[in-house]
Amino acid sequence: MIAASAFAQSIEFSPEERARILSHGPWPAVHELDSSNRVDGNPIAIELGRKLFSDHRLSASSKRSCASCHDPKRAFQDGLRSTRHQRNTPTLLDVGQQRWFGWDGATDSLWAASLAPLAAKSELAATPAHIAALLRRDRTLNVAYTALFGEATADAANETILVNIAKTLAAFQATLVSPRTPFDEFRDALAQNDSAAIAKYPSAAQRGLKTFVGEGKCFFCHSGPAFTNGEFADVGRPFFTKSGADPGRWGGLQQLFTSPYNRLGQYADGGAQSAVATKHVIQEPRNFGEFKVPSLRGLLGTAPYFHDGSARRIEDVVQHYSTVDESRLHADGEKIVRALRLTPAQARDLTAFLKSLSGASSRKSK
Amino acid sequence: MNLPTSLRFLRNGLFALSVAFAATVATAAPSPIFDAHLHYSHDAWEQLPPKAAIAILRKAGLVAAMVSSSSDDGTQKLYKEAPDLVIPVLRPYRTRGELSTWVNDPSIITHLEARLKANKYAALGEYHVYGADADLPVMRRVVELARDNKLYLHSHSDADAIERQFKQDPQARILWAHSGFDAPEKVREMLRKYKNLWCDLAFRSDHAQSGKVEPGWRAAFLEFPDRFMVGSDTFTPERWHFVVEHANWSRQWLADLPKDVAERIAYKNGVTLFSGMVKR
Repeated sequence: MIAASAFAQSIEFSPEERARILSHGPWPAVHELDSSNRVDGNPIAIELGRKLFSDHRLSASSKRSCASCHDPKRAFQDGLRSTRHQRNTPTLLDVGQQRWFGWDGATDSLWAASLAPLAAKSELAATPAHIAALLRRDRTLNVAYTALFGEATADAANETILVNIAKTLAAFQATLVSPRTPFDEFRDALAQNDSAAIAKYPSAAQRGLKTFVGEGKCFFCHSGPAFTNGEFADVGRPFFTKSGADPGRWGGLQQLFTSPYNRLGQYADGGAQSAVATKHVIQEPRNFGEFKVPSLRGLLGTAPYFHDGSARRIEDVVQHYSTVDESRLHADGEKIVRALRLTPAQARDLTAFLKSLSGASSRKSK
Repeated sequence: MNLPTSLRFLRNGLFALSVAFAATVATAAPSPIFDAHLHYSHDAWEQLPPKAAIAILRKAGLVAAMVSSSSDDGTQKLYKEAPDLVIPVLRPYRTRGELSTWVNDPSIITHLEARLKANKYAALGEYHVYGADADLPVMRRVVELARDNKLYLHSHSDADAIERQFKQDPQARILWAHSGFDAPEKVREMLRKYKNLWCDLAFRSDHAQSGKVEPGWRAAFLEFPDRFMVGSDTFTPERWHFVVEHANWSRQWLADLPKDVAERIAYKNGVTLFSGMVKR
C-alpha cells in the first residue's frame, strides 16, 4: 500500500488502484494521426480549418458557423441542455482522441463528423455547390486549399471539395486539447513517488478517486488518459424524445453503415487499414438507447451533462450514479452500472475528484 | 386456462392465423412475427397509452405478443385494447423494483392467486430466479400455481434454476427467457433433456450478426426448430419504440435459415403453443 497524502486523512491505494490511476495518464496524450484524413497534422490544413471553423459563410444563411454551437469560449460547446435531435452539444476538446463521433457514433472519423452538421438542414444547411463556390471565389481560401489538395478547378467535383473542407476542419479540431489538471499533477507525482507533490492534491479528491478506481468501478468505462473507453452504454437515463425515443447507438450504426463518408467509402484516405473497426462493428438490440461514454476531462466547463443535457451540475451526475434506478437496466445487460448508494460525504468526495479533472481556467470561473 | 377450451381456442386460432397469413402474403406485408417477450409496465403506459402501444405492435407485423407487466394492470389494459393480439402473462412483480426481492416475499403469492382468480393468462412470468433460489418456498408455489392452472412458466434463469423447477414438476412447461444467456451447446443439451422446455431469444444477439446465423446456433435451430421463439423485451418504456426495428432485425437473420425453420421460429411455434389465449 502507498500512502498518497500528507493531509490529516492519509489515503492509501492498493497496487491495483495505483495501476488504474496511472493508466489515466500521462496527459496530454499523443494524438495519432488519422490515416483516413491525409491532411491531419498538416499546418496549412490546421490553419485553414481554424479559419473556416468560425466562418459564417459556410452556412447557407451566412449566419452560422461551427463555432455557433461549439463556442471556443465555452469549451467548444454551447452550454444548452439540448439542441438538435434533443441532444446536448458535446465539447470538441480532446475530440482527436476518439474513435466514434457524436452521442450515437454515427460517424467514424472526425472529418465525417464535421461533414454532417455542414450539410444538415437544421444546422449549416450547406450544399456541396455552396461550399465549392465559396472556395472558388475566396482567394485566400483557394490558395490554402490548392496547396493541400490541388486546384479546385471548375471541373472538380463539388462533393470532393466539400469532403476536403471537412478534412481541414477535422485537422483543426484534432488540435483542441484540454489543459493539464490537478489530477494530472497528482498522477505524475504518484508515478514518481514524489510525496511532496502528492500531498498537494486535496484529500477529498483523493478519496473520490479511490471510489472512482475502486468500488465505484467508474474507471471501467471512463478509462485511459481521456477518461473514456470511446464506446457506448446504457446508464439508466431516460431517452424519450418528443416524437418517440432516441435510438442512440442503434440509429448511429444504421447511419454509419449507409453513409458514403464512412471509412469504407471512396472519400476515406488510408485504405482498408484505417477501416478495421468500421468493418467489424456490429449492430445489436442492446444498442438501442445506448449513448457515447463521454470524456470526463474539463467537466467544469462542459455542463450540462448526459446525452440530453438533463443533469445541470456535476453533483447531479454523481447523484444519478448513487441512486440509479436499476430496474431500468437489463438484468443481464449493463452489469457495471449499479446504484453506488454513496453517503453524502462520499458523494462530495467523488464530486471533488471529478472537479479536479478540469484545468485552471475552468476552475477559476466555478 | 382449462385444457378443452384451450384446445378449441388453439384450433380456431391456428385457422384464423392461417387466413391472416394468407392475406399477409397476398398483400406483401412483412412476414409475421410472434413476439414472446414484451413488458408494459407502469411507466410504459404513462408514456405510451394502450392504443399507441397496440399501433406499434400492429405496425411491427406481429401476429401475437406475450405481454407481462409490473404491475399486472398494464397487461390487462393492453389485453382489453387488443384481445386478438395480446397474450396475457402474469408477472409476480407489483412494481418493477421487486425483480430482486420477490422470491423472498410471501405476499407475492397472495397477489398471484388473486390475479389468477380475476383474469385469464397463458403463463406466469417473466420472473428472475437463479440457482438454488428456485427451491425457495415462493418459487415452489409459483411452480404449483402453474401446474394447477395449466400455465406455462416464463423463467429468466440459469440452467440450474430451470432444472430445479423441472425437478419440482417434471410436467412443467417452461419458456426459458433469453435462453438463459447460455451457449448454444448448453441450450441444446437442456432441450434434449427436457421436452417441455422452449426458448426465447430476447435481448441477445450472439445467435445472429449482420443477418447471418452463427454456426453453433444454426445447429440448435435445425435440431430443435419447434422450440425457439423471438422476443423484443421492452424492459424500459422507451424500448417500445424499438419493437418495429426488432421485428425487422429478426426477419433479417431468420432469412438466413431454411424457410420452414424460419417460419416456425418467427411465429408458428408461438402460435401453436399460445394462440389459445388469442380472441380472433
